[in-house]
Amino acid sequence: MRMPDTANRSTLNDDGLLAQAFPPVAMFVIMIAAWQAVISAFAIPVYVLPSPGDIWLAIVNNPGPLFRHSGITLFEAVAGFVIGSMMGAVLGTLFAYSKFVARGLLPYVIAANTIPVVAVAPIIIIWFGHGLSSKVAVTAFLSFFPLALNMMKGLQSYDRTIMDVFHIAAATGPQRFFKMRLPNALPYVFVGLKLNVTFSVIGAIVAEFVQADKGLGFVIMTSYRTLNMPRLWAAMLMSALIGMAFFAIISMLERLIVPWHSSLHDNR
Amino acid sequence: MAERAAGEGPVTTAASSLVDISGLSLVYGARVGTPVQALDDIDLAIGEGSFVSLIGPSGCGKSTLLRVLGDLLAPTAGSVSIGGKRPVEARLDRQIGFVFQEPALLEWRCVLDNIALPLELRGVARAERDSKARELISLVGLEGFERAWPRQLSGGMRQRAAIARALSTDPRILLLDEPFGALDQITRDRLNMELARIHEITGITVVLVTHSIREAVLLSDRIVVMTPRPGRISKIFDVDLDRPRSLRSRADERFDAYVRLGSDELEKGYADA
Repeated sequence: MRMPDTANRSTLNDDGLLAQAFPPVAMFVIMIAAWQAVISAFAIPVYVLPSPGDIWLAIVNNPGPLFRHSGITLFEAVAGFVIGSMMGAVLGTLFAYSKFVARGLLPYVIAANTIPVVAVAPIIIIWFGHGLSSKVAVTAFLSFFPLALNMMKGLQSYDRTIMDVFHIAAATGPQRFFKMRLPNALPYVFVGLKLNVTFSVIGAIVAEFVQADKGLGFVIMTSYRTLNMPRLWAAMLMSALIGMAFFAIISMLERLIVPWHSSLHDNR
Repeated sequence: MAERAAGEGPVTTAASSLVDISGLSLVYGARVGTPVQALDDIDLAIGEGSFVSLIGPSGCGKSTLLRVLGDLLAPTAGSVSIGGKRPVEARLDRQIGFVFQEPALLEWRCVLDNIALPLELRGVARAERDSKARELISLVGLEGFERAWPRQLSGGMRQRAAIARALSTDPRILLLDEPFGALDQITRDRLNMELARIHEITGITVVLVTHSIREAVLLSDRIVVMTPRPGRISKIFDVDLDRPRSLRSRADERFDAYVRLGSDELEKGYADA
């Protein structure tokens, strides 16, 4: 039997982090160098593939607008993520507690989930107008399903013997929910949230493709029309950075909120 | 050695009985398909402070009987009284501790908070429930693991925590449903001795469901042998071995005699089935 030694474990993690960080950083340097070399060697025109230097210049020469547009997309993604996830969590809870609601609504929810977001986005934009709220709504639409389904699964997957333990202890209904079913569902909730991180950035940008005068989707579309490929690539890079930062924040929250679950990965 | 055949009415020990079961029957699935008679006309008295084992082949209803005592199942007919109360009243009155085959710990709570859970659910203040949990942690030998996650414990340690949790409300009766069935023999022996020690120290009434006759003889004052289809009591006998029990109790020649007695009775159950 080994006891978890907190000090020991964090040192191990730090070592692990450094060792983990080196390969991707090294690979990044190699890829950038190869990219630049290929463009020089074959004289590839900039509209086909801009060089890393071109993209870098597109960012640093006029950073203000690019960051402003990124901020807009980030806001839409986060707001849609929060609203959609919360609505999904509520509906998932309803599904878990009411067989009638689950059987009645689940087929339609799953059917709605299969509709491509590009088909839904114009409708939502008609409903919610040309401002930010319609982009938030499209993002929320995408963030809704993963959380509803994972919340339902998490709340239903409790251990029957633990339910007996709560029965012996004369637990009330709210106690069963807050002290057993909800904590038990949290690892599932985080699976849903991590899916939603990706979906929310996609949702925001797709909605901006359909109609927008700001945001990264707007930058990508206008750059495409003017064949300003370095700017398009810069916008793409920003959207990737938003997604990665967002994902990192959710992973950090997961470590804080469900440490018993993430400790599983650390200890093995 | 006191022996009796089934059906002669409840046996009472010198001490007054804590549990009285009479005419208890339980039929599963009476409303859907073929009903299964899990328990048929059970009469049993369990003395206050005694250690009683229920033993029998699978399907004999021993776990069902235990779950009726713990108010996890309602009988079809008959009456059950625990300290003069119906099981549901005894349960609401914190008088029942139940240990299951799996430890069933909440993996998001440390050992201390798992043990304090029943008190927390009853609204006991944190300081009080923590001090009770610490007391129990030392009783079951888990000192130093207060803040460990359940998944960091061995199987035996998890079951120790489950026993401590069952004792947290100071119940009058501890019900154990094959608690050590999933453990290796050495761990099982050690936990059996822990259980014997806890019984000696606290004086709590214990009902243990097991399929090991040797385990039953080692620990019990009285053994109830059950037979399946329908679940009935076929024999009740007292085990007169010196207390406190230890693993050396197995060297006592009477130990083997009791084991043979129980095994013969179990054989009959299997032969009939």
